[in-house]
Amino acid sequence: MSSFHRAERRKSVAERSPSVSYAPDTIPQLAGLEKPQEHNLHIGECDVLVMGTGLVESVVAAALSWQGVDVLHIDNKTCYGDSNSTLTIEQVKSWCQEVNSGRIQHFEDAQVYVTGDIYHPQSKFKSKDYGIDLTPKIMFAQSDLLSLLVKSRVYKYLEFQSLSNFHIFENDSFSTKFANASSKEEIFTDQSLSLLTKRYLMKFLKFVLEDNNDEDKRKTLADNAKVTIYDFLSQKFNLETSQINELIYSIGLCIKPTTKTPEAIARIRRFLVSFNVYGNFPVLVSKYGGPGEISQGFCRSAAVAGTTYKLNTALTDYDPQLKLAKFSDKSSIKINEKLIVAPTQIPKFLQSSYNEITESLKKVNISRLVVIVKKDCKEWMADQECSAMVVFPPESLNSQNKTSIQALIQNGGTGVCPPGQSIWYLTSFEQDSIKAKQDLQCAFEKMESSILRESSDLDDVLDENLSVNKSGTSLVVNSVKLGKSLQNFVPKETLEIICKFGFTQKTYVLNDLSNVINPTDENNVSLRKTKDCEDIIFTNMPSSEISYDGIVKECKTIYQAITGSDDDFFDVDFEDDDEFNPAGFHQQPTTSSSNLKTSDNDMAIASSDDEDNAHPFGADEMEL
Amino acid sequence: MSFPNPPKAIKLVLLGEAAVGKSSLVLRFVSNDFQENKEPTIGAAFLTQKCTIGDKTIKYEIWDTAGQERFASLAPMYYRNAQAALVVYDITKPASFLKARHWVKELHEQASKDIIIALVGNKYDLVEDSNDELRKVSVEEGKKLAEEEDLLFFETSAKTSFNVNEVFIGIGSKIPDNSPVTETRPENGARIDLSSQPAQKSNSSCC
Repeated sequence: MSSFHRAERRKSVAERSPSVSYAPDTIPQLAGLEKPQEHNLHIGECDVLVMGTGLVESVVAAALSWQGVDVLHIDNKTCYGDSNSTLTIEQVKSWCQEVNSGRIQHFEDAQVYVTGDIYHPQSKFKSKDYGIDLTPKIMFAQSDLLSLLVKSRVYKYLEFQSLSNFHIFENDSFSTKFANASSKEEIFTDQSLSLLTKRYLMKFLKFVLEDNNDEDKRKTLADNAKVTIYDFLSQKFNLETSQINELIYSIGLCIKPTTKTPEAIARIRRFLVSFNVYGNFPVLVSKYGGPGEISQGFCRSAAVAGTTYKLNTALTDYDPQLKLAKFSDKSSIKINEKLIVAPTQIPKFLQSSYNEITESLKKVNISRLVVIVKKDCKEWMADQECSAMVVFPPESLNSQNKTSIQALIQNGGTGVCPPGQSIWYLTSFEQDSIKAKQDLQCAFEKMESSILRESSDLDDVLDENLSVNKSGTSLVVNSVKLGKSLQNFVPKETLEIICKFGFTQKTYVLNDLSNVINPTDENNVSLRKTKDCEDIIFTNMPSSEISYDGIVKECKTIYQAITGSDDDFFDVDFEDDDEFNPAGFHQQPTTSSSNLKTSDNDMAIASSDDEDNAHPFGADEMEL
Repeated sequence: MSFPNPPKAIKLVLLGEAAVGKSSLVLRFVSNDFQENKEPTIGAAFLTQKCTIGDKTIKYEIWDTAGQERFASLAPMYYRNAQAALVVYDITKPASFLKARHWVKELHEQASKDIIIALVGNKYDLVEDSNDELRKVSVEEGKKLAEEEDLLFFETSAKTSFNVNEVFIGIGSKIPDNSPVTETRPENGARIDLSSQPAQKSNSSCC
């Protein structure tokens, strides 16, 4: 496959318009410089056509544009975000129809229930007061995508809030022992733990935080490459099930008990090193929506660098000899280099190529249940925060769930719904989609009774605690209430539901992200060769990962497939334009492009056997 | 970080048909004050310009469409939390005035209810020297639309800078003093400042 090398491209945006000497004395007559508004695309050619405005595609469009590639970015839908969209309730309804009529590939079994409330003319809230993510995500404070957001300046379009509370459900009650600590040192100083357990926990903490190049750590991880994290923690560190569960499923956000030690350690480390990067919390969420909002930010960045945008437009034909693309608006454009095609945007004539590429790959199901409730669920959130995580470890539900259920809760303070309401995003990794639905429903019911109980005896609990603790942070209140068992609780009221929405998504990205972190032309859709047309690069459907891990690596893989190298991926050096920043505050924190290089420098465990690439979180350090 | 009088940041969005002079209006407004200082940075998320009105200082964060409006593909992000908007048309192009009506409607649907909108008829220089045959949209038409929709109204020339500053001063003086910009209200969740230096990684060098 030929690459679109540096020398063949026009100069990067920075080279074309150096940020210093830009001071026209007179404003030129602009009439005629901008093209008149058209309804069909009147550009003769472009270098790269990107189809689908999902997160990966948007980052790639921006990365290419800033380095001088002429990009046309289209989407067959009328809104931005594709599989990562943040949708209004109305949009969710029509999305479900599209899915069920088979028009959006890789999604199926979409169901939506909306109470009549929002349609009432007198209703205070309308469909557009809601922003529902198709792929809800949280961002670790120390992560490659966050570094990229800062470096690219895209963070300026966004607002981020902190998320501190990670609740874990066990023995029919919710607990938050470690994970709502305010620093990593505090995590393991829970007073209910025995001195001995504390010592083991501290030993484990030290091990996790040990430099990944440390010989002993490398050796320990390599020796335990095939050992499950559960066995590792119980045998090496003598920890008990409840501590192990919290470490694996809440802090590590692992999804199954068979998670191997290196991957789990990397996941736990990711949580710990994220403390105190931007404050005493490990995780951030973007306001008004997750990946959908961030996609829009990168699209805007791409547009600023010259990308042309057109939504509601599909590719209808492509002639590989003439490199001519035809679109649903009847226009045709010459594509000089490559076409990047999201799996939801595949035109009919490419379907067989895509089927061939994906034939031998393992398909992964992700099932989601999204519920909008009339409660702000403050009880689950840390003081001043509007989001929380609830995790149900395997086997913790009556449905005997085999994999964990992860739930992200966001209330009106995050801008995704009106005040006094919240959106619950529950995700199951169960491959049997009927079983997944049962698990999700079961988890939802537990959350429902929990929040009803907590808000029903809220006054009592508050009085009790606030009288003791005048400065009473709600953290104190939380841990008391959440410790109660749900076993004998009979709710006096029911939870008012505004919208309930569920679906199953398919992806070829494995749950451990191994085929994204170490992509080959065997395991990754984007690197598989199409027989008929070598100009086509397919992207992946979103992974099951609740964090943004893997996104930047996916983008670089595609970027590299086009340009031959990812050396100049977002090689931009923006001058700081904010004159109000005091001295010393004014450069972005993690600048040099070498910081963005992650997985190439194989830091952690040198796996003894080469075929064993299945532990990306251990095999490569995710953090920057 | 505390400053004696931190200027109030106002998000202002530009709307209007292509080639009516949206960018040049902003360039005129921003570069007049920036000339001997620093130029607007390429790749800046948005252009910023301070504007002093009486005893208050406003810092405009001006979002250009970056061409995303060409095929009517502005993202919801563009309108979100915008406190002011310029809807620009070309007084020599009637179609652009029709389009301005469309954008005003779009703003009413997409933007916050209390957004301050200025309707701006640009390219006044083309009709200045009693050269009236080029004018295709009368002052009265502009005024009428502005009154109907409760908009500020200006005719400007980005080329000669006629009335340009007045647009921004006019908007600024309508911005209420107590508008909650990015205040961190407890019930609203604290905003994290990503532009500040993150704490140095405690890279676990516990030897």
